[in-house]
Amino acid sequence: MNLTATHLQPETEPGVASAEEGLVFLDGPDGIAKTMTPDAAQRTGQSLIEAAAEATKQKTDSDV
Amino acid sequence: MFTERFLRDKRGASLTAAERARLEAAISEVRTYKPRKIIAKAGEPLDQSTLLIEGFMCRYLDDRSGLRQLVAIHVPGDFLDLHAFPLKVLDHDVATLTGATAAIVPHSELEAIADEMPELTRKLWFSTLLDAAIHRAWLFRLGRLDANARVAHFLCETNARLVSAGLSDGRRFALGLTQADVAEICGLTTVHVNRVMRQLREDGLCVFRSSLVEILDLARLTALGQFNPAYLYIDDDANPLPSVQRPRS
Repeated sequence: MNLTATHLQPETEPGVASAEEGLVFLDGPDGIAKTMTPDAAQRTGQSLIEAAAEATKQKTDSDV
Repeated sequence: MFTERFLRDKRGASLTAAERARLEAAISEVRTYKPRKIIAKAGEPLDQSTLLIEGFMCRYLDDRSGLRQLVAIHVPGDFLDLHAFPLKVLDHDVATLTGATAAIVPHSELEAIADEMPELTRKLWFSTLLDAAIHRAWLFRLGRLDANARVAHFLCETNARLVSAGLSDGRRFALGLTQADVAEICGLTTVHVNRVMRQLREDGLCVFRSSLVEILDLARLTALGQFNPAYLYIDDDANPLPSVQRPRS
């Protein structure tokens, strides 16, 4: 057993999204494998961008 | 002979002639089933277990909106609800995927075997432990692998199980499942599985067409799916399959 349980660590590598047949496929990181409609993908992407900005701000604030 | 595939080539668990004869004698009837037929419902009292002779069956759970998740598939030779002998009810439904033939073994006969033949009883127990090992592999597959690897792992596992049952030559086997079934097994959408299958074909790893799986490059498919058949407890002499050692720290 790898004592560093990687799934308990935040992912440092991004997932890869691609489009096909009018749908969006998100593969990775690790065990993520999702198919979304374009609308769901757009809203998920926007939510991720907003959460990433908030998390970055939290990290900056905690470093001060 | 209805039990010839049961525990075939399983390490330390293959049946002796006397054990096989006793198990054959325990069969009360042989039933045939149409495809996509429910044969046992969760919560129903059971007084018999089912040894699959031909075809594919599955265990599944429905979510609250009625959407199904396959949690196990069974191949010929599997004693698929043997755990209902001590439990007396199932916590999941059982259904056929293809047309199927199964031998019915009353629990009263299993009780008699437990009294008469402790070594055969141990082998029946082995069978349920093998089920548990496969469940653990399914958890690993869903929790750690991406879409391509999940499908690769499932195809390698099924190939290994069918080799053990004498139903695959290690490269080609009949798989009476739809891509929607594979999607349920792998926690993917059907369109995602379709895409994965195309990718596997274009990469020269595997072709799944008209219910026939042809593995073009078993070593690479095994590596992609991080498949290690050790959990299937197949006799080393009967296991021609490559395996992938997972990294250890």
